[in-house]
Amino acid sequence: MEYQSCFDIIGPIMVGPSSSHTAGVVSIGKFIYELLGRCPQEANIVFYDSFAETYQGHGTDKALIGGLLGMSTDDPRIKSSLECAKEYGLRYQFGFAEGCEYYDHPNIVIVTAKSGDEVMKAGGVSLGGGLSKIFMINSEMVDIRLSAGDNFTALTRQNHPRRKRLMEAI
Amino acid sequence: MEIQSMRELIDVCERKQKNIGEMMLLMETEKSGRDEETIIAMMEERLIKMKEAVDSGSKDASASPSGISGGDAVKMVDYMNQGKALSGNYISHAMSYSLATSEGNARMGVIVATPTAGAAGILPGVLFSLHKNDGTPFKELVMGLFTASMLGLIIANRSFISGAAGGCQAEVGSATAMAAGTIVELKGGTPQQAVTATAIAIKSLLGLVCDPVAGLVEVPCIKRNVIGTSIAFSAADMALAGIESRIPCDEVIEAMYRVGKEMPRTLRETSLGGLAMTETGKQVKERLFCRKS
Repeated sequence: MEYQSCFDIIGPIMVGPSSSHTAGVVSIGKFIYELLGRCPQEANIVFYDSFAETYQGHGTDKALIGGLLGMSTDDPRIKSSLECAKEYGLRYQFGFAEGCEYYDHPNIVIVTAKSGDEVMKAGGVSLGGGLSKIFMINSEMVDIRLSAGDNFTALTRQNHPRRKRLMEAI
Repeated sequence: MEIQSMRELIDVCERKQKNIGEMMLLMETEKSGRDEETIIAMMEERLIKMKEAVDSGSKDASASPSGISGGDAVKMVDYMNQGKALSGNYISHAMSYSLATSEGNARMGVIVATPTAGAAGILPGVLFSLHKNDGTPFKELVMGLFTASMLGLIIANRSFISGAAGGCQAEVGSATAMAAGTIVELKGGTPQQAVTATAIAIKSLLGLVCDPVAGLVEVPCIKRNVIGTSIAFSAADMALAGIESRIPCDEVIEAMYRVGKEMPRTLRETSLGGLAMTETGKQVKERLFCRKS
């Protein structure tokens, strides 16, 4: 059962236009931001399948960058996150591919983020309705459910011990 | 407590003498560990955001960043104010609220995904139309959101709710189905009748493909939200009249899942088929994203 809560269905409160291609992707970016503990300096982003075909129309690029900068799904700055990235000192690069070898879903993004000496590669899937999942961190397969409807402050707190554990595992 | 099918939902509602919305609230309290008051307050917050999106969208005639949508909500309001709407007050109000929300979504405004952003216009459309036309209080609309989420949870876990996964049938289809069941419950129908309305709504949209022009959640998404509200009211009316669905709702959902699985990739939000590949659709894409080529 991927969907657990009424707020997985009613919500998130978000900046449009797409819960899977905008909001769910903000959460993936934000998770990486939380995992690093700060905004990365470099990000190499690969969009697959539906993301690769329609990212411009849905603002998927703006959503991911917004998340990497620490923004939440309802942050109006997402609209101009590509410009914000310059101020934050984040250099990014987008790549595109048809199908992902690690996970079978049309909405996949793989991000390689660099912050100082730390480099991490995370795979995220946006399941629809603002719900997403991190399925890979570096070469390890994981299953971390992200709901944009969650209270992100609480989520951050929950993630801190997890972050430590994950970073040790890497 | 896990409710995995519409059949189970009807049974548990009958056993516990609760309606669908009350069951959702109970389940959420048990699962999340939050108290009822907190959960209701969170849902109220969502209803308020929906109302704000309806109000701002009803007045805003500006175009979306792409220029291919915007201004229709205002036209609809003007038309209704002249008393010309053929589809009656319930449906025409729902249509205009739905337009307002979905146009706002395309402008990257703040909306509430119900269950997705692409289908965010349908539920607020019918809820605020009920409020406008028969004074359904906001408190009851909040309970209606619990009804809608229970129906949506079952659909989402047994099938899909996003156009990329299962086509527009899964997205506008699920939202319309949730709205239909919610109308029934808010109008005093039984859980069985609400589930029947859900089934009728999905059946009406079965097979609908996801083919957004230039990948934007605008054409045809906005108008499909509008039409979704009228299907929701028709399905609810049928269920309230005592009409049944010959195919049980769980089987209808399973059919939607199978149809979605068989749907080619080109018709699942990739903008490689349907309206996206019409002459005009392709021209729009070229005009907007000429940098890409």
